Amino acid sequence: MAGYDRFDILTGCALLVCGLSLAILLVSGQKENSTAVAIDKAIEQQIAYQARIDFLHRLYQPVEALRAQGQSSSALLKLDELARRYPQEAHGQILQGEILLERGVVAESINHFVRAVRLNGDYVDKLSPLSRRKEIQQLVNLQLPLFLARAHKKPQNLALQNTLTGLYYLQSRLAGGCE
Amino acid sequence: MRIGYMNCNSKKETLQRFKPLTRYLSQKLGIDFEVVPVDTQDFPERFAAGEFEFTHTNSLIYLILHEENQLKLLATEKRGRYGSRTSGSIISRKGSGIKTLEDLKGKRMIFGPQLAPSGFLAQYDLMLNNGIDPETDIAYYAIPAGSFKHEKVVYGVYFGQFDVGAAPSLDLELMTADGKISADDFNIIAESAIVPYCTFGARKDLDPQLIENFRKALVDLTKEDRVDFAGENLKVLASAWIDGYETLEDSDYDILRRMAKNANMPPYQEF
Repeated sequence: MAGYDRFDILTGCALLVCGLSLAILLVSGQKENSTAVAIDKAIEQQIAYQARIDFLHRLYQPVEALRAQGQSSSALLKLDELARRYPQEAHGQILQGEILLERGVVAESINHFVRAVRLNGDYVDKLSPLSRRKEIQQLVNLQLPLFLARAHKKPQNLALQNTLTGLYYLQSRLAGGCE
Repeated sequence: MRIGYMNCNSKKETLQRFKPLTRYLSQKLGIDFEVVPVDTQDFPERFAAGEFEFTHTNSLIYLILHEENQLKLLATEKRGRYGSRTSGSIISRKGSGIKTLEDLKGKRMIFGPQLAPSGFLAQYDLMLNNGIDPETDIAYYAIPAGSFKHEKVVYGVYFGQFDVGAAPSLDLELMTADGKISADDFNIIAESAIVPYCTFGARKDLDPQLIENFRKALVDLTKEDRVDFAGENLKVLASAWIDGYETLEDSDYDILRRMAKNANMPPYQEF
């Protein structure tokens, strides 16, 4: 090759190898870095979710304690108090729904379950630690035929129609439907 | 046409709550309705005298007017956690050591007004059903005077004037939600069965179509319905502190009939 001696060619090759090595190192370093960031985010989300679950359990522990002692009236009052600070918290709606259902106040109970599921779909997700899927499924299975029969007898009764709408909503969410 | 509204806490509050609703009904039905505020004790007499055609009362007054004047059931009000129903609670101050119905014996008690289903009747019946005669087994009981009697009951217990009180569960719920009291302030010793809440009724001799239109206007009301009143555009239900209306059957009031008979109260009182 004219103008280039053997030393130039060797130096050029060495520089090329160094440059390529450096580029490979940089690319693989970035890959490792982005994988690490993705893992960090997933862990952060998991930690935040777990923290939220722990927080909900701590927040509503007095309500659960009152329920365990058979003091459901006091438990409902405690829920009213907590709702002042956390009005959009679905867990309070779930507990309210459960207590009202235990007391036979079915239509109002269904309203609370609907509100809870609208706020947070975890309650119908069988894998969520918050899941109430089984209870909600039982509620729908048991109450839908009863309210259908009542609404059939009294088609003009709007309250019955509203309760039916709520039950259908829960049924669709159990079946995997979205908002 | 006139609608008699039972004063719940005060005449002023009744007018404030129900004038916008009445304006809405006037517009919906094309009839100029007049609001007539009525004290609870005077209600049966004034209705019998023909002072108003439609009524808005607690469920016990409905029962009295239905038994005595064949008042027709129109719609039942929805408010609070039990919807168109409500209940009565017996409360004591936390830390008082009064936790069971048995503990009520020999204690000083405050009830709500005597014709209040969830402030007097439900608790009176509850006590009788548990072997406690309010007339003989407690030291004495009182009924507060003047307006806002239910809140006076709650505060009477809170400030220690009385050992126990008969409070409507709805008032406890609302006072807690408003931050006036804390759930931790009271023991709820017992809660009654749920009974129908405030009720609209109509005179038996009114045009059936008018009665049906009135009922439909109430049960069709949604939280979004608005009315122009006193220079403002108001949400009808919110301005009356109501969640809605529902059509109940007269037989839904049977539980209240049983309570009234058990407590020897109107319209079944025997001397």
